[in-house]
Amino acid sequence: MSEEKTYEEKLAEFEARIQRGEKIEPGDWMPDEYRRQLIRMISQHAHSEVVGMLPEGAWIPHAPTLRRKMILIAKVQDEGGHGQYLYHAAESLGVDREELIAALLAGKAKYSNIFNYPTLTWADIGMIGWLVDGAAIKNQTMLAHSSYGPYSRAMVRICAEETFHYKQGKEMITIYAKGTPEQRQMAQDALDRWWWPALMMFGPPDSQSIHTKTLMRWKVKIKTNDQLRQEFINEIVPEFLALGLKIPDPDLHYDEETGNWVIGPIDWDEFWRVIRGNGPMNRDRLEARRRAHEEGAWVREALEAYAQRQRQASMN
Amino acid sequence: MTRDTQWPRWEVFKQDRPDRPHEAVGTVHAPDADVALLNARDVYVRRPSCYSLWVAPESAVFKMTAYELETTPNWWKEDLPEEAPEETYHIFNKQTQRRSMVAVTHVGNIQARSSREALRKAIDSGQFVEKIAYMWWVVPESAITRSNEEDVPSMFEPAEDKTYRDQSYYTGSVFARRSQRRPEDIRLS
Repeated sequence: MSEEKTYEEKLAEFEARIQRGEKIEPGDWMPDEYRRQLIRMISQHAHSEVVGMLPEGAWIPHAPTLRRKMILIAKVQDEGGHGQYLYHAAESLGVDREELIAALLAGKAKYSNIFNYPTLTWADIGMIGWLVDGAAIKNQTMLAHSSYGPYSRAMVRICAEETFHYKQGKEMITIYAKGTPEQRQMAQDALDRWWWPALMMFGPPDSQSIHTKTLMRWKVKIKTNDQLRQEFINEIVPEFLALGLKIPDPDLHYDEETGNWVIGPIDWDEFWRVIRGNGPMNRDRLEARRRAHEEGAWVREALEAYAQRQRQASMN
Repeated sequence: MTRDTQWPRWEVFKQDRPDRPHEAVGTVHAPDADVALLNARDVYVRRPSCYSLWVAPESAVFKMTAYELETTPNWWKEDLPEEAPEETYHIFNKQTQRRSMVAVTHVGNIQARSSREALRKAIDSGQFVEKIAYMWWVVPESAITRSNEEDVPSMFEPAEDKTYRDQSYYTGSVFARRSQRRPEDIRLS
């Protein structure tokens, strides 16, 4: 063909496709910035799933019943699978899983801040399922509408599975909130510690979120951090209150006019402190990932050696 | 760091029931096809239902989007020796923009001398698409490794007993009926 389209023409075409609701697929033309933002978001998301296995995995040996143990093992296994779906989506954009994992192990990659907090009691397992996974589902349901095909498909698959995580947590906390005074206290203590970090999961406020505008223009995201956070608060506050649990926020009130539950100020200094590596568990999490990677090396070497021998045998 | 986890990527095609087509669910990394099948089971079949899995090296899968077909002039042109042997190519495509967890669906197969020729023949025949295809994948039969039918009980059936992985397992009497009270009736402290 004689005339190649200009960048502006391609960009206009790309944005028109997104406006029509078409999915962008690997192989399609896309602006570099779209690719870069997606790699950033998807890889952070993948790392979060994998690091997210640690705080819950720690409680598998201490589960109070066989039923709870089976549920928790299945859930942690799901998180590992979700990490793989997402690395797959990132690789469709031209990065290698290996380089992403190397960045994580080197401490250069971000993952969800929430996993830098410790799981101190068994009730934390229920609270993570209900509150933390509830917040994650809110975000992921939105991302299932994302304009990038592979990301959207990974999110649809994850949401379908994640609903089980949410339900088992809600079941556990509901039982404890209606149980003995000690159980009730455990549930309350877990809510006290996880409430604010869970609200921070939606990311910095819109006024400070540098990527939001571009991401929404290209329908990578459909809603802003603050919109999602408020929707989540409106859904979950009445549920906790109905169980007689207290939300650890003296400023929380219902606004008759807007129909919103209005929260007090979020401590963003804490958010930035933790994200920069100074949370209670940052070092432990990375240390555990590095150890798992090193201790699994012999398995990868053995599989590789076997595959090589099979290849040689088939050539002879 | 040594390059020890990257391994080749394999596209995974999952069939839910014997009467359903195979669908592309994602990729796995593996040193060989057998390990790719095992990884595919662990990553994509933690829940029912699955009847069969295919894996094929990602590098062997020829992919074209509708956008690429439209914007790549003479995409079908290639230097193909006249005497190149024909083989079977599997045709997959995506015919909807609806929300979905699969990329493309198996729609049939065709005899051709290359993936590119297979795609051209598939499009020309008009028999693989109702209205529009947004994405086409072509996989040579020789690149596919399949799970065996006799492996179904050991590979896929264990997932069926794990009912606690399904959210509907948690709709028991534990949950109180949704609160009918207005928000202002709920005491805050």
